[in-house]
Amino acid sequence: MSYSRREILDTIRMTESEHFDVRTVTLGISLFDCGSKNREECARNVAEKIKKYAASLPSAVDEVAEYLGIRVANKRIALTPISLVSTLPQRESYIEIAKEVDNVAGELGFDYVGGFSSLIEAGFTKADYALIDAIPEVLTETKRICSSINAGTTREGLNIDGVIKVASLIKDTAYRTRNHGSVGCAKFVVFANAVSNNPFIAGAFHGIGNPEVVINIGLSGPGVILDAIKRNPLANLRELSEIIKKASYKVTRVGEIVGREVSKKLDIPFGIVDISLAPTPELGDSVGEVLMAMGIETPGAPGTTAALALLTDAVKKGGTMATSQVGGLSGAFIPVSEDAAMIKAAHEGHLSLEKLEAMTAVCSVGLDMVAVPGDVEEDVLAGLIADELSIGIINNKTTAVRIIPVYGKKAGEIVSFGGLLGDAPVQEIKTISPGNFIRRGGHIPPPIVSMKN
Amino acid sequence: MDKKRIALDVAKILLNHLPEELPQETIEKIAADVISLIEGQSSDDDLKRRLAVLTVIGRNHSGIVHSFSEILAENNVDIIDINQTIVHGNFAMMMVIDPTDSKVDFLTLKNLLKERGKREDVQVFLQYEDLLKELNRI
Repeated sequence: MSYSRREILDTIRMTESEHFDVRTVTLGISLFDCGSKNREECARNVAEKIKKYAASLPSAVDEVAEYLGIRVANKRIALTPISLVSTLPQRESYIEIAKEVDNVAGELGFDYVGGFSSLIEAGFTKADYALIDAIPEVLTETKRICSSINAGTTREGLNIDGVIKVASLIKDTAYRTRNHGSVGCAKFVVFANAVSNNPFIAGAFHGIGNPEVVINIGLSGPGVILDAIKRNPLANLRELSEIIKKASYKVTRVGEIVGREVSKKLDIPFGIVDISLAPTPELGDSVGEVLMAMGIETPGAPGTTAALALLTDAVKKGGTMATSQVGGLSGAFIPVSEDAAMIKAAHEGHLSLEKLEAMTAVCSVGLDMVAVPGDVEEDVLAGLIADELSIGIINNKTTAVRIIPVYGKKAGEIVSFGGLLGDAPVQEIKTISPGNFIRRGGHIPPPIVSMKN
Repeated sequence: MDKKRIALDVAKILLNHLPEELPQETIEKIAADVISLIEGQSSDDDLKRRLAVLTVIGRNHSGIVHSFSEILAENNVDIIDINQTIVHGNFAMMMVIDPTDSKVDFLTLKNLLKERGKREDVQVFLQYEDLLKELNRI
């Protein structure tokens, strides 16, 4: 037999019974040739370009998935940060484009589009001001449009004026979508060191150095890692790292093959595989459960950060060899509301915001899908964002905040977002104020680690 | 086609066909492919020849192998290799097949086999060998 029974049965078990799927095939599209001073024309240009490249992607992905015998959960689009597309820098321009793109994406069968984004790490352009002004309405009036702002980088430092604006837009969006658990905020993320090829929503955008179009792959796979760990309860930590590396290799390899095949089929270049473990609210598909299988009683216990560090590092090491190019965020996501074990830990009071913040120093992104009381002060929110982004800036990694101040809810209550976004316990946030620090305004200069030349 | 390209394509064909123990017919097939390539008679289809793996798992009962090989034969799908075993009390049959000359396309074949799986009360998985190759062989 050209394949051993074990190889065949192991592969079937991985694809069938361990919640394994490729989380997203994301098509990046450049919009640099779509600009127009006339906003209707600009919106039309963007829509036409999306149609041109994205129309055939869903069926191509489905076919590749059937051929390979795996599931692909989502197809998504990442656009050039819309603030870089030249049009009249007025909020109405971006609302018009957003509505047009939302419709086209729906017609073509995509569930989310990323890229209503601004890069403001070193300051604002007129377009940035206009877009930031438009974002709450975009997130409220459209279904599929996701937005992100890069407010700091290791090279440029942290734009505190930008952070203040972001805190305000998050509160505004929470209020506008108050009848739906303030869910608009789930479609917005603020970054430090945002990457230009991230395939995951809400932070996906098609960065400026990218080709005209590109296929990027985002993986899932906590279930596969979980299963591998559970089958080795006696392994010491060095052995555990090896076990995780091997499982990560397999998970990543699947992404590599899917990317290659889809790229070939559509004649669109293959970009990167993002090897992040991305959980879903389903039982057994949880990064929190992986930590528990490693021996942590519940996420949030002392030792959680160390376990997460080991996990993230082993996932990266195993995944690196499996793909021709690793990219995106690549590590482990810890979105609270999308992860059954994290939800439980937060609900039981074991997982505080402060512990989550510490964990983000060693995971792939940051405070993700965290719900806090709706009456949180803007200054407190800005302080939290500044803290999280500073961790990224100093440590030369991506960090982010996707936070939902749930209108009308108090700490301890539960908010349900439905579907992949899951349920979140509203978490306590300190009310003592960083206002006098934040309101000084201005810019935190880049750290000394930025000087590498 | 330049020589480098031909060599590359030959290597690809070898990779597609090379199992651990080479049956006579596979060797003949490789030889035929290579000859037709060098003579410039190969079509794109020959280069795309991909094997697939059919796995059937479920309660053991008589006639399972026959039931599935019948569908393969009807549709002109070549069985390259076959193996069966009992895993945790379940019957497991694994076949390496060559669907290149199949009368029906891959997805139709997959559906036919899955339908038969329902009748036989077993689970059926059909996939091209890509995953197996890439996950288990470095």
